[in-house]
Amino acid sequence: MLLMTDVSKTYPGGNVALKEVNIHIQPGEFVFVVGPSGAGKSTFIKMLFREVLPTTGTILVNGVDILALKPREIPYMRRQLGIIFQDYRLLPDRTVYDNVAFAMQVIETPYRKIKRRVLNVLDLVGLRRRANSYPNELSGGEQQRIAIARAIVNDPLLVIADEPTGNLDPETGMEIMQIFSEINENGTTIVMATHDKDIVDSMGKRVVAIEKGRIVRDERNGVYGYES
Amino acid sequence: MSFASVSTVAVSLLVLGMFLLIFLNTNNLAKYLESQVQITVYMQDNANDKDLEAMSGKLKALPGVVSVKQVKKAEALNRFKERLGEQENLLSALGTENPFPNSFEVQVDVPERIKEIAPTIHQMPKVETAKFGQEVVEHLFSLTRILRFGGVVLVLFLSFATLFIISNTIRLTVFARRKEVVIMKYVGATDWFIRWPFLMEGMTLGFWGAVFAGAFVTIIYSMLLSKIYATLAFFPLLPTWPTMIYVDIFILFVGTAIGALGSFISLRKFLRV
Repeated sequence: MLLMTDVSKTYPGGNVALKEVNIHIQPGEFVFVVGPSGAGKSTFIKMLFREVLPTTGTILVNGVDILALKPREIPYMRRQLGIIFQDYRLLPDRTVYDNVAFAMQVIETPYRKIKRRVLNVLDLVGLRRRANSYPNELSGGEQQRIAIARAIVNDPLLVIADEPTGNLDPETGMEIMQIFSEINENGTTIVMATHDKDIVDSMGKRVVAIEKGRIVRDERNGVYGYES
Repeated sequence: MSFASVSTVAVSLLVLGMFLLIFLNTNNLAKYLESQVQITVYMQDNANDKDLEAMSGKLKALPGVVSVKQVKKAEALNRFKERLGEQENLLSALGTENPFPNSFEVQVDVPERIKEIAPTIHQMPKVETAKFGQEVVEHLFSLTRILRFGGVVLVLFLSFATLFIISNTIRLTVFARRKEVVIMKYVGATDWFIRWPFLMEGMTLGFWGAVFAGAFVTIIYSMLLSKIYATLAFFPLLPTWPTMIYVDIFILFVGTAIGALGSFISLRKFLRV
C-alpha cells in the first residue's frame, strides 16, 4: 500500500525534518506514527498526500510513484486518499450533508449516487440526524466525525489522519477511534499521527516512532512509549 | 462580488474607455490633417487654355490622385484680395497686371504618395513648379506617428492597470474562500474544477463593470460632443454613432476577458497545494 525508500527531507534553510526513512505498510494495516513534537511526524504525514515533497528518496502509494506524477495527475492520486486534520477543516457555511457531499461533487460523482452514499456514511459516523445542521452548531467530536465521513465518502484505499483527536477530550477521542477501527475492519488502510498515549496503548496496533527525523522504533502491537 | 468591486472595475474601464476615445479622435484628427495636404502645381505663364486642359487630364490620370482643381489666374487674384481684406488697396500698385499664375490643386488618396507624385508633376511640360510644403508635411507625419504610438502605449498601459485592479479585487474573493480551495485540492478536485466558478465570477465582475463603464462613457462622450460642436462646429471629431458601438464592444470584451484573466492570475498562488 505504502512504500517509502530512503526518504529524506531538508527544508530550505537547512532544517532536516526526515533522514533516510524506510517503511513498508501493507494494505489493511492500522499504523500509529508517534514521536515528540518537531520529530518529523507532520512532514512524514504531509508527504503521503504530496503536500511536502522529499529532497531525496521515493514514495510509492498503491504501486504509484507519487513523486513522478504530472501536476494534472495529482488530483486523481488524492482521490484514493482520505485526509483528516486536527482542526477538522469543514466549510462553516455549508450543512453537514453538504460538507460531506462536497467531496463527491468535486470529483464529479453523479447526483443520485451522492445522496445515497452521503447518508450511508453519515450513518456510519452516527450523525445522520444532524445532516442539516451547520458545523458551528456541533461539538468538536461531532465535527471531527463529519471530517471522517468526508474523508471516507469516496472509498479511499488509504486514510491519513494528522492528530485527529488532538483537540478532543479523552472520551470523545475514544469514540473517534471506534469509528477508525470500524473503517479499518472494512479493509481501509489507516496511517495516523498522534500524541495520545491512551489511544495508542489501548488499540494495540503497529506503532512507528520518529525521533529527530529517523524511525527509531517500528513494532507490531506497539505502545506509545513516551511520557504523556 | 459586491457593488464596490463592480464599481472599481467600472471606474478603471471608464478611464480606459475615455483614453480609447481620445486615442481614436487623435488618430482621426491626424488622418484629417494629413488629408488636407495637397500639391499645388504652378504653370508657366506661356501655358494656354489648351495646355491647361491637357494638364488637368494628365494630373487626373496619375495614380492615387483623388481630385484636381484648377485655379485660374483671376481666381487666384480674387483669393489674394480676400485674404488682404481691408488692405486691398495695396493691390492697386499692380495696376491691371495679374501676377498670379494658373495653378492646380491636387489631392491624393494616401498622403505618403505626395512625395512620389510631386517630382513626376514637376517634370511635366509647361510646369513652373510643384509644391507641397515639404517640411510642414514631414513634421506633421512625425507628429501623427508619435500621437498614434503614444495612444497605443497608453491604451495598453491602462489595460494592464485594469487587469491589476480586477485581479486584486478577485484575489479578495479567492482569499475569502481559500479554505474551500485547499479542501477541494485535498479531496482530489482538478484545477479546472476549482477554477471555473472563480473564472465565471471574474468574467461576471468584468462584464458588469464594463456595462456601467460603457454606459457612462457613451453618455459623457455624447454630451462632450454637443458642447464642443456648439463652439467649434467644424472640428473633426468622431460622431457618437457608430464610434460608441465599437468602443462599448471593446470595453465589454476587454472587461470580460480581463475578468477571466484576473481570476486566473489570482488563483495561481492558491492552487499550488
